[in-house]
Amino acid sequence: MQKSANVVIIGGGITGCAVAYEMAVRGVKDIVVIEKQYLSSGATGRCGAGVRQQWGTETNAILARDSVKRFEGMNEELEYDRDIEFKQGGYLMVSYTEKEWDQYKKNVAVQHNLGIPTKMITPLEAQAIVPHLNLNGLIGATFCQSDGHANPFHVVDAYYKAARRLGVKFETYTSVTGITLEKGKVTAVQTSKGDIATSTVINACGYAAGTICKMVGFELPLYPQRHQALVTEPVEPCQGPMVISLHHRLYCQQTPHGSFIMGVGDPNEPKDFNINSSWEFLEDVSRQATTVLPLLKNLRVVRQWSGLYDMSPDANPILDEVPGAQGMWVAAGFSGHGFMVGPQTAVLLTQKILGQQCFMPIERFGLARFLGGELDLESAVV
Amino acid sequence: MLNKTGVPTLEDIQTVSPSEERLKKGPVAIIECFQEIPCNPCTEACKQGAIRPMEDINNLPKLDLDKCNGCGVCLSRCPGLAIFIVDASYSDTEAIVRIPYEYYPVPQVGEKVVGLNRAGDELGTFEVSKVQSGGQKNKTYTIWLIVPQSLAMEVRGLRLRSTEIQPKETIVCRCEDITLGEIQALIKEGYSTIDEIKRAARAGMGPCQGRTCRMLIAQELAKFYSIPVGEVLMPTFRPTVKPVKLGTYAGGE
Repeated sequence: MQKSANVVIIGGGITGCAVAYEMAVRGVKDIVVIEKQYLSSGATGRCGAGVRQQWGTETNAILARDSVKRFEGMNEELEYDRDIEFKQGGYLMVSYTEKEWDQYKKNVAVQHNLGIPTKMITPLEAQAIVPHLNLNGLIGATFCQSDGHANPFHVVDAYYKAARRLGVKFETYTSVTGITLEKGKVTAVQTSKGDIATSTVINACGYAAGTICKMVGFELPLYPQRHQALVTEPVEPCQGPMVISLHHRLYCQQTPHGSFIMGVGDPNEPKDFNINSSWEFLEDVSRQATTVLPLLKNLRVVRQWSGLYDMSPDANPILDEVPGAQGMWVAAGFSGHGFMVGPQTAVLLTQKILGQQCFMPIERFGLARFLGGELDLESAVV
Repeated sequence: MLNKTGVPTLEDIQTVSPSEERLKKGPVAIIECFQEIPCNPCTEACKQGAIRPMEDINNLPKLDLDKCNGCGVCLSRCPGLAIFIVDASYSDTEAIVRIPYEYYPVPQVGEKVVGLNRAGDELGTFEVSKVQSGGQKNKTYTIWLIVPQSLAMEVRGLRLRSTEIQPKETIVCRCEDITLGEIQALIKEGYSTIDEIKRAARAGMGPCQGRTCRMLIAQELAKFYSIPVGEVLMPTFRPTVKPVKLGTYAGGE
């Protein structure tokens, strides 16, 4: 392995691979991506594969809105030899309580301000979009057609191949064991295959970003939270949009492959690194899914798995330089939606590090927001 | 040993081996049945009274070597494909071994095939002298192989020579229709573990969860990297064991 690099990126998920590409395409030479296992083996490869713009905070919504535009032209932009399977079947966010409906109204106002074309629709209009939707108790729904699905493995693969063509080196099955600091500046990354001297490190390790920050003595306000998911056998296309019911803690979509991916959030999930699968989840998600979408009761479950959200206190990303470790940047805290905002997160961070004009104020994702004052909490996380 | 490998031991074989003298006399059945299981079609099949009726259906069959004329009916009836007919009187240097065969394509008379021992190791190339169909109801074919006298008690299986694997036509992942050629191309591209191939091509993501393709892909990786199959990194084995309906988990059925 090489002894030095201009930039060392830790983490081979969507964020790490996209940042590698964005830097390389802007002319940065000598970039190395370090990945503990294989590319997209962490949260990216375990996510629900959804891409939505219907967020409650402006920050999340802008990143998601602009990322959708990138997904739309990604096969061509990255000259990908396969297909990222981007399908814009929309997101249908259904509401079964008044309180939730009020929140949806506020969220839609934020989205409209940013030009996101979300519609507020009646239960009958929602049923016209998803015929097997349970209308019992349904108050209304919000729908945005340009939301949808992308295949996380292929998106990462597309960034990886494009970055590799631009000269980026990828070291998979390599662990970071330490960060060397001199006078408060990063000078090297220690790995299981040797040290790499560098002055710029990007910590894009998702739920493990806190572990890396601890190596330079910084406590990142981040905690891991297990989320489980399952996939069914493939069937003929019958559900266009991703259906989200925050009341049922449920998300559920049919992928272009034909299988249904779904998951539920567990409010009692402890904060730890556990990624085992549980039977309790199978029961829970089956009950919620067959309540909201009764037709699905006949679908067979093929596989279940779990992954970790990298939860930040306000469910918004943290994009900042690490205090006390000049040259070390963190891109984490995506709180379960790092994949869908990945393309633009990478652009924003790259622009900041290279001293270019940022397309939005990156300070809004800074660590300073946790020092005091009121946080703008994201309400739309499943 | 038999329980672990499926290969009988030398001692097992000796218990069912006829004497040299009996072998020289002409065709005789070799019943290589060493597991006490409830099974008795051979006793029903034998019209010579050479395989005696069993007192207990779990017993191993007992053959009367003097009564057996090597007709071969028992061979085609044995569900375990455990019976062979050896005729050491064929010539001074060669013997005939009759072997049950249940694969397609069926070898042709005059074809040269690879003879295998009980462990599946190749023993040489031998000529098929006769092919006998088991009939409408019994799909077991009997293949007559001409082998050297010294291998009469060794050759117990056969493999066709012409079955070269066609990577473009050979399906490795049956759930997702992925061919050997596609898998080999991915490995060449640099996808270096089963997990990576699974994510790139969906191999192993179908209802069987990789039960068919997992080890086949492992073999290809082992070949490519010249490592033992045991060193290929296994993917995570995930629930569920078999596909079950959401409605069942929800408790409605």
